[in-house]
Amino acid sequence: MLPIGQLLGEGVVVGLAGGTGCLATCGPVLLPYLLAEEGRSRWASVLALGQLLLGRLVGYLAIGILAWLAGMTVLASPRWRAWLVGTAYLGVAILMVAYGFSPAAKGCAATPGAGILARVRTRWPKLLPAALGLLTGLNLCPPFVVAITRAADAGGLAGSLAFFSAFFVGTSVYLAPLPLLGWLRRPEAVRTTARLAAGVVGVYFAYLGLVNLIGGLLA
Amino acid sequence: MSSTPTTTSRPWSPGLSWPKTALAALPMLLLTALMLLGGRPLPHDPLRLVPLLAVFVLSNVLFVLMLRTGKTDRFRAILFVTVAVCFVLSFIPNLLEVRGNIGLTGDDLVQGKTPFCHMVIPMTVIPAALTRTIIFPGSMLTGFAAIGSMLVLWLAATLALGRGFCSWGCFFGGLEDGLSRVRNRPLVKAIGKRWTYLPYAVLGTVVVISALTLTPTYCEWLCPFKSVTEFNALTNTRAVAQAVIFFSLFAGLVVVGPVVTRKRTQCGLFCPMGAFQGFTNKLNAFEVRVDRERCSDCGQCEKVCPTFSLDRESLAKGGTRVSCVKCGKCVDACPKGAAAFHIKGTALRPQARSARLLFLYPAFLFLTVFGSGMIQDGLYRVLLLVTTGSMIAH
Ligand code: SF4
Ligand code: SF4
Repeated sequence: MLPIGQLLGEGVVVGLAGGTGCLATCGPVLLPYLLAEEGRSRWASVLALGQLLLGRLVGYLAIGILAWLAGMTVLASPRWRAWLVGTAYLGVAILMVAYGFSPAAKGCAATPGAGILARVRTRWPKLLPAALGLLTGLNLCPPFVVAITRAADAGGLAGSLAFFSAFFVGTSVYLAPLPLLGWLRRPEAVRTTARLAAGVVGVYFAYLGLVNLIGGLLA
Repeated sequence: MSSTPTTTSRPWSPGLSWPKTALAALPMLLLTALMLLGGRPLPHDPLRLVPLLAVFVLSNVLFVLMLRTGKTDRFRAILFVTVAVCFVLSFIPNLLEVRGNIGLTGDDLVQGKTPFCHMVIPMTVIPAALTRTIIFPGSMLTGFAAIGSMLVLWLAATLALGRGFCSWGCFFGGLEDGLSRVRNRPLVKAIGKRWTYLPYAVLGTVVVISALTLTPTYCEWLCPFKSVTEFNALTNTRAVAQAVIFFSLFAGLVVVGPVVTRKRTQCGLFCPMGAFQGFTNKLNAFEVRVDRERCSDCGQCEKVCPTFSLDRESLAKGGTRVSCVKCGKCVDACPKGAAAFHIKGTALRPQARSARLLFLYPAFLFLTVFGSGMIQDGLYRVLLLVTTGSMIAH
């Protein structure tokens, strides 16, 4: 097994090198959400980013465990990879379309007499970034595939997880400034547009998901 | 008819007396003659001469009626719809002549033979500014609808008209404008205000994805008007998927939507170019305003506005939303003469007639000059079809 220190260092470097790709994937997903929600405090914006990052970390670690379990055999298969990414993207798409195109929930979840569905509807956007983070974290973009190869070489579960944790830190640097945009003053028009944009981005991810699934079938 | 607006509640009309109409129409007569001939002698070929004379007569008759009756949209729409229909009639035979086929092949893309259209301007200029790459497979300066000349035309129209471009220049808008007038009453009346923000959401998303992928995303995947112009040759699954999307969007937003709502649904609910163009309204000197003293809050203007640009909130503020295309439909419909064309920074009522005239000259001239080539070529193709049995000149 490679020394943990070396794996951590390499993970950060690979993450920093490929992190702009993460910004390209997670930026369009997180930004509309940050701009759409009403009356968010600075801390709430940071919390949303925190949730997204946590979701991504869980996604990365899940891949890390898979990489360790399977070596490269499963993840190296183009079909398997395409299906994993396709399914994850379709998950992102469903969440974003539902969030973007459903009317904004009004009122308070704690209103006495509100049914369980009403409560879920009012609260679910609050957990949305975590779910989106998890699903985008399963994205097997080129730097991520490099990371998987390296992690599979690490030779042990601890090494694999250490590498992916470091990779996560490296890539997160690029996402850190996003909450600043959430702090901007957002008139109603901007919030409505941002929410609809989440739906449009969702349609785009649905397209990417379908392309991957069909690609997996044809591989 | 008095040329000074009154302060009573009698509906005020921007129409002119006959002598003033003749005087005001004369410059347009000369300008259109100059622009249409461009210093060339009259063509000898009757198939070319008849369309040229038809455009000249039609445009000037419509302009005179506009001045005399004070109705803007009623006569604008006739020319605007004619331009759009003739554009389609002219574009496809033109492609067949220039390229030999309608379907775009890989070679056409590589050789930059794709005609550029204004719809992709925001998706081209913003990424071009950021990445210094023109993400459109067209030729920059030469050939049919080259990128350079289309950008110059668009810039001129934008400076003169703001989003007025969408009802005085866009050769696609006329299709839905025409179809939105087919029924007398709408079948669907209520469309949630939030959906009127969708074009801005589409704009933002398409610009970001275009910049990230360096491809003209809107053009490749979302443009309904591909259905009546050109799309990739149907040689693979991707091209078939694209064609299905184009036809579905065309059917929904350009045909069914306008017919059932009496609104321009593509322009008001989807078009990212329109959304982008809306911001240029902020820079443009002309706008449509509502005189609160005359307005009776009857809501007639809100009802007829084809682009959802008037609502209770904007009426209360005496103006339109940023999406106004300056078509003049609300001005025509207002029973109190409260809605009027206006030049920013000037007094509302005393200047209303001159403000309208000052707007009409560049707007109508742009529509006539920009559209005259399309009308002429469209009519020429029809005459060609009637006389030779083919729309292609051999
Ligand atoms: S049509 Fe519009 S501007 Fe005219 S009176 Fe009615 S509400 Fe007012
Ligand atoms: S506000 Fe009036 S001028 Fe503007 S788009 Fe609507 S109807 Fe046309």
